[in-house]
Amino acid sequence: MEKIAVRNSGYQISRGRISRVTLLTETERLFTIVLQNNETLDHDPGQFVEVSRFGVGEVPISICSSPTRRDAFELCIRAAGRVTAALHRLKPGDEVGIRGPFGVGFPMTPLAASDVLLIAGGLGIAPLRSLVHYIIDNRRDFGKVDILLGCRDPQSMLFSAELEFWRQRIDINFLCSVDSAAAEWEGNIGLITALIPGVNLDPFKTIAITCGPSVMYRFVIAELLKKGIPPAHIYLSLERHMKCGLGKCGHCQIENLYCCQDGPVFSYPQIKNIRGALE
Amino acid sequence: MSRPTVAFFELASCEGCQLQVANLGEELLAILDRIDLVEFRELLTERPDGPLDIAFVEGSVVNAECEARLHAIRQRSELLIAYGSCATIGGVNAMANGRPISEIQAEVYGDQAERFAAARVRPLHQLVPVDYFIHGCPIYPDELIKVLKAALAHLPYNIPDYAVCVECLLNENVCMYEKKVTCLGPVTRAGCNAWCINNGNVCYGCRGLVSNPNRAGAEAVLSRYHLDSRLIANKMLMYNGALEPTDE
Amino acid sequence: MSGVLLYKSELCGLIHFLVADQTVIAPVPLTHGQFKFAAVTTLEEIALDAIPTLLPPKKYFLPPQESLLQYDTTQGEKMQAEVAIEETVLFGLHTCDLAGIQCLDMVFADRPKDLHYMIRKQHFTLIGLECNDYCDSSANCAMLFNHLPKGGYDLFLTDLGDYYFVDINTHKGDLLVEKSGLFVPVTPAAQDNLQKLRQIKTKRFKSEIPIRYQDIKPLFEASFESNVWTDIGAKCLACGNCTNACPTCYCFDIVDEPEFDLTRGKRLRIWDSCQHENFARIAGGENFRKERGDRQRHRYNRKFHYPMERYKQIFCTGCGRCSRTCMARIDLKETFNALIEECR
Ligand SMILES: Cc1cc2nc3c(=O)[nH]c(=O)nc-3n(C[C@H](O)[C@H](O)[C@H](O)COP(=O)(O)OP(=O)(O)OC[C@H]3O[C@@H](n4cnc5c(N)ncnc54)[C@H](O)[C@@H]3O)c2cc1C
Ligand code: SF4
Ligand code: SF4
Ligand code: SF4
Ligand code: SF4
Ligand code: SF4
Ligand code: FES
Repeated sequence: MEKIAVRNSGYQISRGRISRVTLLTETERLFTIVLQNNETLDHDPGQFVEVSRFGVGEVPISICSSPTRRDAFELCIRAAGRVTAALHRLKPGDEVGIRGPFGVGFPMTPLAASDVLLIAGGLGIAPLRSLVHYIIDNRRDFGKVDILLGCRDPQSMLFSAELEFWRQRIDINFLCSVDSAAAEWEGNIGLITALIPGVNLDPFKTIAITCGPSVMYRFVIAELLKKGIPPAHIYLSLERHMKCGLGKCGHCQIENLYCCQDGPVFSYPQIKNIRGALE
Repeated sequence: MSRPTVAFFELASCEGCQLQVANLGEELLAILDRIDLVEFRELLTERPDGPLDIAFVEGSVVNAECEARLHAIRQRSELLIAYGSCATIGGVNAMANGRPISEIQAEVYGDQAERFAAARVRPLHQLVPVDYFIHGCPIYPDELIKVLKAALAHLPYNIPDYAVCVECLLNENVCMYEKKVTCLGPVTRAGCNAWCINNGNVCYGCRGLVSNPNRAGAEAVLSRYHLDSRLIANKMLMYNGALEPTDE
Repeated sequence: MSGVLLYKSELCGLIHFLVADQTVIAPVPLTHGQFKFAAVTTLEEIALDAIPTLLPPKKYFLPPQESLLQYDTTQGEKMQAEVAIEETVLFGLHTCDLAGIQCLDMVFADRPKDLHYMIRKQHFTLIGLECNDYCDSSANCAMLFNHLPKGGYDLFLTDLGDYYFVDINTHKGDLLVEKSGLFVPVTPAAQDNLQKLRQIKTKRFKSEIPIRYQDIKPLFEASFESNVWTDIGAKCLACGNCTNACPTCYCFDIVDEPEFDLTRGKRLRIWDSCQHENFARIAGGENFRKERGDRQRHRYNRKFHYPMERYKQIFCTGCGRCSRTCMARIDLKETFNALIEECR
């Protein structure tokens, strides 16, 4: 057997150097990464990359920074297992392998000029943060912007300093709710779905995007439909086991759709009748 | 990189697994290059008592003496690797668990039984935290190497959770069921590269069951081939007699 | 398309000619009426009467384990993408297996392309061999028209008694015919005999399952919630043999294999199976195809339904391997019959 080099292999990585590691919570860290060799990551909010360390393995992670900030990009990583725990051990100056960006991100073209309603649950704030930063950097292009965030408790809230900044801006309506909290918590307590009825919106001008654990989706969608938002104006991001990111390995398949290439962001009508998409 | 200190210990076992290590050949030299081997009965005789980075423990816990030794090893070592089915699932020793201990003692030691204390046979993880498991009776050398690499890199090792049949077909063996012979491959977790079938034997299930075996399905297979389903129950017990409902 | 003839007395010479400068792979016998593809050097080793081999020829196109990247982390995450190649002739491929290779070709050529696969496959020469009769009763090739040649080969041999009718499908095949000097021109009688065989075959090979090609996809659309999947799930041991044996299954995993120094190693692609318990489980613990029945339904839909939408093709070749290999006797034809029965 002769080994020959493959140029432009779909599996080859770009080298990314970690320039900063920020502790967000006990289990989540924010990594700022600069691609080497003058490469840039030209992504859409909602897309993901495959991040790896040789000898450890590769995992799909949403890009949580905006493409408008071009020198570096950010990944918010939860230590969930083998690879992610190993990534948590890395320090500034260490390198990671990057493949991508992959998949279909948020619908950036129809979003411009629309009112935007973003609904994030838990770690779902990571991909949505990319969009929020993009909106902030291009605020004039968008209509009214509402952001609803739900999480388990105040301790597990990601990006809390940034959220404060969003809350204070006059051009964003930011609301947040936790499932449970100690007495000193001043914000809302309860499920995120309870916040939706109170949002003041024009259903035909609004595009709603939701991102979070799959159990949340059915309830969020029901509330959005109650508000009169047309189904085609509702988008969501699905998480599946992923390996290749190239529509080949089969892990991410939902019926005929490959979540890595056809998604991870889908419009509601696209997956409404796909059994196994919304559990 | 400083070389981690590594030691091999045995509790109640046949030391067959240590022999597998001793027989590694060229790979063993590569391993010895990376580690500082301080205790190993098959190769070395010195027995220092200092702290260890990695302790490999073979054999199951069958009495208070074993138990005390295991706790002492755990105390000394940063990482503990259970290797061989006796250590990981109780293995052949645990066949004894199917019967009252006194009865077995009487059978083995006759009227001397009183002098040999014995308790329920237990795999290591039922007594101390175990960092890595290397299943098999004996262990499959390639897997030992994989686990050692994982331990040296401080990474978890994922034991395959699919059937031996997968590896068996990759080796293009004619299936034992085709030959009308019972084989535990379909319910046994892979990782041994279907070692036994490659060598003309059936799979005895020495690596333990996959995490969610289809028992009813397996019995149906046996009855379809006119094989006795008590046979499979017995065979499963041969290595899996120490499993508790909470074990994987 | 043009044809030539190869007298059987020359077949030995052909193998001899082929092994001179490349590896020759052909079916060889095992025990219990089973076969596998393996490297051969003489005609005697080859089973010309082989039924579909335990593993399909995909093991050469998409090896069970192959290195995608070599890495070296002594100075950062350095790597080199690579593919192992070898000039190889695959000899004695039945029409079902040729169809299987065509399916894989489609998948890996689809964007984003898999260059590892695409580069490797260019180093193969494919020589087909027609089945004059059924291999055994597990086959369902006629239902999918895969009992007849539909391209995908360089040369294709049909046994017509004293000689093989050889269809030359590519320039590569033509060069081989020319260089070997073993083939003779076609005669009208040979043309005639080929027609006759094909006529006989239309009688011998009848759709094995009472369903028309165009009704297959609708059948699977209609039976997503069928009890048949639960029934199969109760029998299935989730061993994954049906997918590993299938010529058109290509699910894989990617894992790193470090050397002992832990700085160098390979990123490997290894076969995986949608039948395995953890195949679709994500970090939160959620498993999107938790039940064995869900996973079997997925396998069947990946043969008869989803590829129809994506590639306008059914991804079953009719080789019968899944039925032959399954010790739980989950049989493709029986599954179809149960589904058809239920939809009546
Ligand atoms: C499109 C997408 C975007 C994601 N974005 C983020 C993000 O921004 N931040 C973040 O922290 N996490 C994100 N994840 C989840 C992250 O990929 C998983 O947590 C990670 O793959 C777990 O790998 P591990 O090796 O650490 O865990 P393991 O030890 O391998 O496994 C833990 C569990 O995770 C499952 N798992 C293993 N590999 C994968 C995989 N490739 N995909 C999904 N599940 C897997 C296993 O079945 C197991 O149940 C995203 C996943 C997807 C699909
Ligand atoms: S011989 Fe055993 S391990 Fe191999 S396929 Fe048959 S049942 Fe499975
Ligand atoms: S084939 Fe079965 S008995 Fe043999 S080593 Fe593997 S698991 Fe053990
Ligand atoms: S070969 Fe049979 S038992 Fe094994 S996974 Fe396939 S259908 Fe299930
Ligand atoms: S599904 Fe079965 S019959 Fe069809 S190609 Fe695959 S193995 Fe052959
Ligand atoms: S399935 Fe059909 S084409 Fe394939 S070997 Fe059998 S008879 Fe030949
Ligand atoms: S991740 Fe491999 S197909 Fe989607």
